[in-house]
Amino acid sequence: MLMLAACSTDRNTGDANSEIAALRALPWDSVEARARGTTVTWRKWRGDPAINAYVDGWIASRLRKRFDIRLEAVEGQGPEIVNQLVIEQEAGRGRGSASLVWVNGETFANLRTESLLAGPWAGVLPNAAYIDSASPIITRDFEQDPAGYESPWGTVQFALIYDTMRTPNPPRTFDELATWIRAHPGRFTHDQGFTGITFLKMLMYARGGGVAAFAGGFSETRYAVGRSAVFALLDSLRPGFWRSGSTFPPDVAAMHRLFANSEIDFSMSNNQYDVVNKIRQGILPATARALVLRDGTIANTHYVGIPFNAPNPAGAMVVANFLLSPEAQFEKQKPDVWADGTVLDVSAVPEPWRTQFATAEADPRAVPRDTLARYARPEVSPQYHERLSTDWLAWVRSGAGARRPASRPEPPSEILPAMRQAVPSDSRP
Amino acid sequence: MHRRSPLPLLLAALVALPVLFGVAYAALAVLGLTGAGATGKLDWTRATALLTDRTTWRSVSWSLYVATVSTAIATAAAAAVALLFPRQMRTDRIARSLATLPLPVPHLVAAATALMVLGQSGLLARLLFFAGVISEPGAMPPLVYDRAGVALIVALAWKELPFLAVVGIAMRAGVSRDLEDAARTLGATPAYVARRVVWPLLWRGLLPAVIATFIFAFGSFESAVLLAPVDPAPLPVLTMERFADPSLARRGEAYGLALIALVVGAFAVAVHEWTRARWGALVK
Repeated sequence: MLMLAACSTDRNTGDANSEIAALRALPWDSVEARARGTTVTWRKWRGDPAINAYVDGWIASRLRKRFDIRLEAVEGQGPEIVNQLVIEQEAGRGRGSASLVWVNGETFANLRTESLLAGPWAGVLPNAAYIDSASPIITRDFEQDPAGYESPWGTVQFALIYDTMRTPNPPRTFDELATWIRAHPGRFTHDQGFTGITFLKMLMYARGGGVAAFAGGFSETRYAVGRSAVFALLDSLRPGFWRSGSTFPPDVAAMHRLFANSEIDFSMSNNQYDVVNKIRQGILPATARALVLRDGTIANTHYVGIPFNAPNPAGAMVVANFLLSPEAQFEKQKPDVWADGTVLDVSAVPEPWRTQFATAEADPRAVPRDTLARYARPEVSPQYHERLSTDWLAWVRSGAGARRPASRPEPPSEILPAMRQAVPSDSRP
Repeated sequence: MHRRSPLPLLLAALVALPVLFGVAYAALAVLGLTGAGATGKLDWTRATALLTDRTTWRSVSWSLYVATVSTAIATAAAAAVALLFPRQMRTDRIARSLATLPLPVPHLVAAATALMVLGQSGLLARLLFFAGVISEPGAMPPLVYDRAGVALIVALAWKELPFLAVVGIAMRAGVSRDLEDAARTLGATPAYVARRVVWPLLWRGLLPAVIATFIFAFGSFESAVLLAPVDPAPLPVLTMERFADPSLARRGEAYGLALIALVVGAFAVAVHEWTRARWGALVK
């Protein structure tokens, strides 16, 4: 038996895969029957109290009552999920610690490359029938085909955040934003994390010929063009950034704090409704609003997956199906719950949910739905994100611009060529 | 004489084995033999990339700078408390208690407090603004996320002080009164006694704690991630950054950085051993 396992070419053919294969052949009520009385451990990002309240309260209590499933959400996001599963895989056979993981984009790509996800299973969920399969933003995860290895949970769209009191006429395009930054040195920055890199990726779309120029997989030559456009602009804007671009806030929370304390005039978020949520939590001022740049803002979908070594695939599938239910999706979309966009085709869901979705009141503080839809742009290959993230860090650490005073809005023209040289030549694949 | 129990040896192994396993695993991971993104073939690219990257050495030097300065400040303050307030008088007791007060405060809380007090829109900036020292809160010099690492050094020193003070106070209390009296009888001034009798004894007791706090400060992640700049990145933050790199191939570099941190820690311990050996020789 050990010999067989050692000889197997696919070292990940764990129990979850074979169990899922068996579950696929069963009618759905048998899957639910198998999940009854079990616990589902869900590794997910736990950084937002609003999301935690929805999952630990609303979702968990209904799972318990209706399906007799105990839901345990534990901390872990993106790279941590990958690292944890790699370690579990190296530790050998046996069941892992989580049955469900919250993923998308490069995490999904990494997990798929390392064969750390079980599947396919997402297509057999009864509620998958309501998914808005016409939307490329939902059916493609950073251009990848989910292929049944992850099930969509929600959609978000990037938005800038500004204060109507401080900036009554905010910039509406990247060009206007650049002009604004030059005119208001020290008042703009972006964070070092996922949100900041998404902002730079949007800049790459805007300056590199639109999202179409980067669609269809990663291309070294197209990236080189996009990268030089992005870093040329960053170089010229750097003296106008907060702290002259010598440092950047570590994460969105830090950026929100700088914004709320009037140290900077813009914050940003990967969720267009985050501003409403944060005003309610008292983190952002009541006059804060979201803003969608007319060059287009990135929208993407987040998903749930089942690890290759999940101890409870049946339970995980029942949870994923419940997360997709019109009822749970409607609750999640409420501005005072989480304000996360639905992945369902709201015209296809059964009554009474169709009417509920149609008549749901949008928060007056939020960006109107049609505006969001008009400027939404899909993600491109996760490699663009990876490379931009690496190159940006190299750019920050190249030290250019750091020694210039914050008060100088424009660098003198003679030092611009020197700054350009500081753009990283190339990063490793 | 009966045989020695194997228990102490077993306990020592229990402490040492995880370290040895960790070193072995880290070495394999940085060579691409295990871990995320590993190909399973011997691959020196991660190690050479790390060792030739300017970012690595800027990061190591910056973390050394922060750990050295914060430990020096904390050591000086702890020694001052031990030397200046040794008696059982009320004022001395209050001074000693105050110095040990930050002991139960978690590092994360200390760092978050530093963020709120020393930030450009923080408490200190507001106080200085109301006092008319600065024209606007924004005119406050950056102390958080700054390259001088002021807030990080302050937070670390503040957390190191009570630990060193506890050791220092105990050491000071252990210096025999007879020794001081003997020196005084032989005509030594109080300053001379402090310098040649009390201080050497205090310092020898304090040194292991100083080395320990230095290594702790060097490897401290939670304070650094909240207060340090992105460039230069503190070594622990850079390590975590690589460990979470979107590119799996780069994650192995995190283990290389962890090994570098281990070398620095081992070097500090070696310095300590060497110093103690020298002291031993002097006594003979």
